[in-house]
Amino acid sequence: MRFLPHTDTDRNAMLESMGMNTMSDLFADIPKEFHLEQDSLHLPDALSEAAIVRKFTQASEQNRHAGNTRCFLGGGTYHHFVPAVVDYVISRGEFLTAYTPYQPEIAQGTLQTLFEFQTMVARLTGMDVSNASMYEAATATAEAALMARRVTRKSRIVMAGSVNPRYRSVTQNYLSRLEGEYVEVAMDGEGFGTDINNIIAAIDEKTACVIVQYPDFYGSVYDLAPLRAACDAAKCLMVVAFSDATAFALIESPGDMGADIAVGSGQSLGIPMGFGGPHLGLFTCKQKYVRQMPGRVCGMTFDADGKRGFVLTLSTREQHIRREKATSNICSNQGLMCTAAATYMTLMGDEGLKAVAQRSAAALHKLISSLPASVSAAQGAHFHETVLSFSSQAIRDLFLQEARKRDIFAGIPLEQLDDAVEHKHLLVTTTEMIEAADIQDYIAALEVAV
Amino acid sequence: MSIPADLKYTKEHEWVRIEGDTATFGISDHAQEALGDIVFVELPEIGRSVDAAEAYAVVESVKAVSDIYAPVAGEVIEVNTLLESEPEKLNTEPYGAGWIAKVKMSGNSDELMSDDEYTTFLEE
Amino acid sequence: MSVDDTLNTYSAVGGIQHEEPLLFEHAHESAEAISLPGVQGDISDELKAFARKKPANIPGLSEPETVRHFVRMSQWNHSIETGFYPLGSCTMKYNPRVNEQVVRLSGLANIHPDQPVDSVQGVLALLHELQTWLCEIAGFSDVTLQPAAGAHGELVGLMMIRSCLDARGQQHRKKVLVPDSAHGTNPASAALCGMHCVELKSGADGRIDLEELKKHLDGDVAALMMTNPNTAGAFESDIKEICQLVHDAGGLVYGDGANLNALVGVARPGDMGIDCLHINVHKTFSTPHGGGGPGAGPVVVNDTLAPYLPVPRIVKEGDDYRIETQDEQSCGTILGSIGQVGVLLRAHAYIAAFGANHLHKISQDAVLNANYVLHRLKDAYHVPFEGLCKHECLLTDEYQNKHGVKTLDIAKQLIDLGFHPMTVYFPLIVHGAMLIEPTETESKATLDSFCDAMLEIAAQCKAGDTQVLHDAPIKPIRRRLDETQAARKPVLVWSD
Repeated sequence: MRFLPHTDTDRNAMLESMGMNTMSDLFADIPKEFHLEQDSLHLPDALSEAAIVRKFTQASEQNRHAGNTRCFLGGGTYHHFVPAVVDYVISRGEFLTAYTPYQPEIAQGTLQTLFEFQTMVARLTGMDVSNASMYEAATATAEAALMARRVTRKSRIVMAGSVNPRYRSVTQNYLSRLEGEYVEVAMDGEGFGTDINNIIAAIDEKTACVIVQYPDFYGSVYDLAPLRAACDAAKCLMVVAFSDATAFALIESPGDMGADIAVGSGQSLGIPMGFGGPHLGLFTCKQKYVRQMPGRVCGMTFDADGKRGFVLTLSTREQHIRREKATSNICSNQGLMCTAAATYMTLMGDEGLKAVAQRSAAALHKLISSLPASVSAAQGAHFHETVLSFSSQAIRDLFLQEARKRDIFAGIPLEQLDDAVEHKHLLVTTTEMIEAADIQDYIAALEVAV
Repeated sequence: MSIPADLKYTKEHEWVRIEGDTATFGISDHAQEALGDIVFVELPEIGRSVDAAEAYAVVESVKAVSDIYAPVAGEVIEVNTLLESEPEKLNTEPYGAGWIAKVKMSGNSDELMSDDEYTTFLEE
Repeated sequence: MSVDDTLNTYSAVGGIQHEEPLLFEHAHESAEAISLPGVQGDISDELKAFARKKPANIPGLSEPETVRHFVRMSQWNHSIETGFYPLGSCTMKYNPRVNEQVVRLSGLANIHPDQPVDSVQGVLALLHELQTWLCEIAGFSDVTLQPAAGAHGELVGLMMIRSCLDARGQQHRKKVLVPDSAHGTNPASAALCGMHCVELKSGADGRIDLEELKKHLDGDVAALMMTNPNTAGAFESDIKEICQLVHDAGGLVYGDGANLNALVGVARPGDMGIDCLHINVHKTFSTPHGGGGPGAGPVVVNDTLAPYLPVPRIVKEGDDYRIETQDEQSCGTILGSIGQVGVLLRAHAYIAAFGANHLHKISQDAVLNANYVLHRLKDAYHVPFEGLCKHECLLTDEYQNKHGVKTLDIAKQLIDLGFHPMTVYFPLIVHGAMLIEPTETESKATLDSFCDAMLEIAAQCKAGDTQVLHDAPIKPIRRRLDETQAARKPVLVWSD
């Protein structure tokens, strides 16, 4: 077997040195009744490397993908451009096959990268500090709710209905086995935006935090200043979730808006969609709450010779020390995805990130400006995502078919994510990967259908 | 190892200085040495009432977390905010600048050890 | 360190180790490294009203500078590709390169999770096949691939146990028994599920003590969480009785699969009475650790817990695959996606490479290697629990303590001798623990040179030649770092 270095001669020599005869002697402490017969597992026999490549290639060719279609899908996962350098850096064995940097002297590469990642994420989101990642945005949102409970010692969570339904359901599920109240604030009718006044009305003195998404699930961008004031009055935290971190190179950041905790997805920062993962959960907060933050964090220090270096720090928050009182149970995180995001942001800089966001938003603006009269888009400021409404489900679905004929994934039927809405809406998203010609084809398909 | 004579001690290695009905709490020299370099102290809220032997503060070293227990019952009237910025005072001046909290006593101090008793306790 | 020195170290870099400033210290204005595609038109006036006023201040480097910056930093890392990595409980084995190649195929890497299901049948087929393989290997009837890591799997497992007990009308069962040798994630996960842990004191042999277990089994017990082989490297030979006792008391048994690398193709936890088990595919099935993640923690379950699996689930109907998102009995949604698909696909490729005919060799060689290391070191280092070990062996620093040398010193000296240290100070049930897990992908020559290094350190202690141990490491780019200072005055972001 090609991944195992031992020859049978090695194995026999090692067994003999221990006074053993056969491999089964090594398993004498497992009761006989549990020993498997050789070859008794119902699995296929070993594949050669070439056969594995063939199998995966065939499977991949059965799928449609962003490489051979035009992808107008979003809803938390986005098709942005990933420069070749990003994948090269994370393919280097020294990053790819290293463990968590618990021995800092021989893990400075991972650690300095994490420190740079934390700094860039904090700057992009406008927050004081960032941790070294959560799994993804939905669990990061749940962790933000748990953190707000610890900080405020209150247990009521108010969630805006315009937060990504997946973030909402995971958060609700995480909280459902603990004491405390979880309140979802329904948004009015079919405006597909965030009604700040509704949310403010739901806050009371028992509230630990309010969770909103900005830009919201429907792509709507809105002012959070009134909510900040309401949170101050009720002494609760303002948690801002987001689904595409590139937005904050273009529009005001969660920090600018006064967020206490900002969490969301960093998938857009150089990580492919990958059918849902691995992605990158970002977690940022104000400095004063840092000791209640979940997850690993990297800090600066000095070595015995006085040279600057980096270590994992504030470990007493974590499960391996504080056990049941830990701020989270997280151990493995998305380390390599931090390296990808750090590399991506370094290549982009302020200008590149802003161009990505600008082009994503410009494509949406162009699309909306070209819509036929019978299709309406949600009103107000939108980043790169909005809801298109059709006169009926039949017409929408006809459009989806027409778009497929042109190799276009035209949007996500909204009811797939949020079963409360009528079946005639489409969540549509544009990024810099959408060219003007793609929009023309999109509109052409629309004109055939409506 | 320093064990001042004017203080009383607990088996959990806390000290208390009693002046009228005010008691000042801290941890002993032995405790700070066992804990190692202290990096963070979580202080109680002012106004909180604590029972004797109740955990009222938390101290952290790099890789350990320890509860600190109240030697006597009372209401917290003052905390040593210096420890928020300079937790190392717990290591360097455990009986002075490293005090943790002051309480208005509501219980008695009968269970506490004198300096001699504490010295004997440590030797055992 | 001088250039000559670095050239002579063990470092696998093979060249010059460079200092490299922080990205933010590179002294020039933002360069344009990328030519972007897309629409260069205007944005809406409504959106302009929200324009960011102050730039984020992310420097940006040109492409050649970016590559050099990150490649230089990579060279400061130890990795499984550059050297031995005997971290107990972590299963640092070789990560096949072909797995990296196949997951990057555009038809796997560039799929959106909300594409119509008919456009993703290829990836669903691979994931569904992995589901059946994991069930077969571990001996269970159903599985969720969704958990993002081992600790996430624990949480999901306990959520299912909670749902099951609630369905039995036993909402009051909230006690989770956890051996004192358990991973810290176990109690942390239980707390998240609204349950509380009671620690079981290990017996004199480091295993679960049946009498101690019986004492705690009452009507409030929800579950026992156990790792088998346990974190001392020993197989819980009473496993059948343990599961029986817990079941008789009305509780369920959760298996922490962190140590599955001892059992693949050899024995199946599901056959032993365990109700559910998470599998760290980034350990047993060789997906790379990435400097901390991503991992994946699929949870396999028996018939008792299968109704409570989270949604979404991948199901097969005829020749077609679809994604089931609704189920009344389910323990709910635990992640915003179907799982860490790229990680799971690597695990698929790994299992496929071994197949039914070779899988058992993984654990046979892993256990052989651990016992070999134990055998070679058992006279020089204190062995707290006698007998066979499984895929990892436990030593302590008891003999070296007499010479003023601690586990930490031994670990740091190993670095200077060219090896990543073992797991130190875990498990907590012995003082000065050193937990060594060689894995099956190391050659006898590597094991021998590691053992030689360990014996050399033991000899240095005996000879009283210990200053070098306290000073270690001196060879890497940084020496011992001041963790106290880092924690007292945390600096987590750079300020210009």
